[in-house]
Amino acid sequence: MRPRPLPSEELRAGTAHSALYLRRLRRRQLGLSLLALVTLAGVVGSLPLVLYLAGDALAHSVLGVPLAAFVVAVPPFAFFVALGWLYARRADGVDADFQDLVDRP
Amino acid sequence: MLGVLAIGAVAAASLGVGVWGVRFARTTSDLFVASRAVSPWWNAAAISGEYLSAASFLGIAGLTVKFGAAALWLPLGFAGGYLALLLFVAAPLRRFGSYTIPDFVEARLDSGPLRSLAAFVVLLIGSLYLVPQLKGAGLTLGEVLGTPFWVGVVAVAALVALNVGLGGMRGVTYVQAFQYWVKAFAISLPAFLLLLHLGGLPERAALFGQELPRAPRAGLVVELEDPVTVTFPRATDFALDGAPASARAGEEVRLPEGRLTLPGGAAVPVAEGIEAQTGEDWSRPAGGEGRGSPLAIYSLLLATFLGTMGLPHILVRFYTAPDGPAARRTTVRVLGLLGLFYVFPAVYGTLGRVLLPELQVTGETDLVVLRLPEAAWPGPMGDVLAAVVAAGAFAAFTSTASGLLVSLAGTVSYDVWGRVRRGARRTADRRTAFRVASAGAMVLPCVVALLARDVDISLLVSWAFAVAASTFCPVLLLGIWWDGLTAAGAGAGMVVGTVITTAMVAAGVAGGTVEADTSLLAQPAIVSVPAAFAVMVGVSLLRPRPVRGVEALMAALHAPEGVGLDEQRA
Repeated sequence: MRPRPLPSEELRAGTAHSALYLRRLRRRQLGLSLLALVTLAGVVGSLPLVLYLAGDALAHSVLGVPLAAFVVAVPPFAFFVALGWLYARRADGVDADFQDLVDRP
Repeated sequence: MLGVLAIGAVAAASLGVGVWGVRFARTTSDLFVASRAVSPWWNAAAISGEYLSAASFLGIAGLTVKFGAAALWLPLGFAGGYLALLLFVAAPLRRFGSYTIPDFVEARLDSGPLRSLAAFVVLLIGSLYLVPQLKGAGLTLGEVLGTPFWVGVVAVAALVALNVGLGGMRGVTYVQAFQYWVKAFAISLPAFLLLLHLGGLPERAALFGQELPRAPRAGLVVELEDPVTVTFPRATDFALDGAPASARAGEEVRLPEGRLTLPGGAAVPVAEGIEAQTGEDWSRPAGGEGRGSPLAIYSLLLATFLGTMGLPHILVRFYTAPDGPAARRTTVRVLGLLGLFYVFPAVYGTLGRVLLPELQVTGETDLVVLRLPEAAWPGPMGDVLAAVVAAGAFAAFTSTASGLLVSLAGTVSYDVWGRVRRGARRTADRRTAFRVASAGAMVLPCVVALLARDVDISLLVSWAFAVAASTFCPVLLLGIWWDGLTAAGAGAGMVVGTVITTAMVAAGVAGGTVEADTSLLAQPAIVSVPAAFAVMVGVSLLRPRPVRGVEALMAALHAPEGVGLDEQRA
């Protein structure tokens, strides 16, 4: 009996197995991206509504700058970088898992 | 004089870096995508340099003077767009390995006609976005050199066409990386020095309290070069060319050209399109009607968040990364570089509201960044900083215009010229075509910029973003993540998205100035983006016609490098 082909051979041959592997990879990547998107929507996406509803509570000034304006002008940019960095690390990890899976003899 | 030197230095250095880059531009692949061998930091600086346009360098601060903190959502969306790119587009698209969006559309959906439609949309968005860059050029050179508007427009158009035609993408990559640092330096250094010089934010009460912007104690003299209609927020006595006059609170007055004199402490009248705001209203990012209403904010955020990935000059950059993970790393660096820059325009807007009240009278708030240094620090230091800022503005519109022109010329030389002359497939021919196209593609935006001098920069910019968000964004997202997208669905969605955005913006323009109740017309994304997505999904589901070999295409998009599929990639 012929031994089971390696996953990498199946990928190249485009077998049903390879389609399954790739679909699973795609689903994991999409899930990760959507998780990051939901985080973004929760933190930055809620800002307009929060500031609209609670504008008066944030009318305080810190060092002469109103808190509400500061909240929009500075911290979101740092949050973008942090979220992007975390996402990129996890996404590379998902790719690496897939490579390991495929190369496993 | 200093301004001339600074702009000349940046122009000469850009040309020099471009010529240096040309030495590498030998093959077609070099010209289009820099041979895909640019390191993440170089690439990230080039992407940021290309992206930070006249709208970012001059426009955000101007809008902040005009509308207050409600304008600060704009840089947030501009930067956030790269997060959307990172999460859903960057790595798959790099792995797919097409040069341009039309390439992607044709390869993914196996349709020639769709490619032509995409090429048309590239030309539309690119030209729309080139116009405000050239307008910024006319304004800046006019302010610094005193040249007529058209001289600045034509000079910058010619310089950019020359640089792109000679260097292609490879030369441009280094030029734009260089120009990012010029811009970051030019916006941050004067901001820091001015804040230090002023000892922090001056006249805090006027900035953030109950006060309206007021004339300084010694009075305010405004030279009006054109007639202007203004609204006086308070009853004011003023003088026109020395003749005394007065206005009631809330009265609208048409002022002829001439010299307007306001007494010290008078609340300054505001031009059409500006609302006189107390410091408290002005410093509130969300609230009230119009720009501050949550609906308008979300529409703006949606357009910029999703529109960035659809700008033709942005995506082509990701093909210069060597592989998928490098594309991700590059994008994270871009987020950092953009964030660094976007903290500063708000400083100019805030100081400009207090120190340059005359801009509210004339309505030329786009000039606030250029004029602030001399207003805040009269004397030689102010002149030096003004020169630095002018050089940064120059770098801003030239680099964005270069990036746009690369993608426009690529599209024209391949999709238009390449179709007319089917035989023109040899490298030498294609290079000539690219060079001719880079001159030709500049002509129309240049003419429009000269004719449409009075159209607001921010209106054209938000239109371009909205078209991108409601055409290429759904095509990319659905094409990358959904097997079921059909060519008919993608085509129908792109047409619907373009038509809705264009119709709404046109209706807004026809309805006069974009005021509170019509502001959604100028910000159509919240309607057009869902509509485009719905049409694409709906048509694809109603007439399912699977694209040939969709499994292999999806594998090319998503399979990591080194799993035996690399030879399928371009």
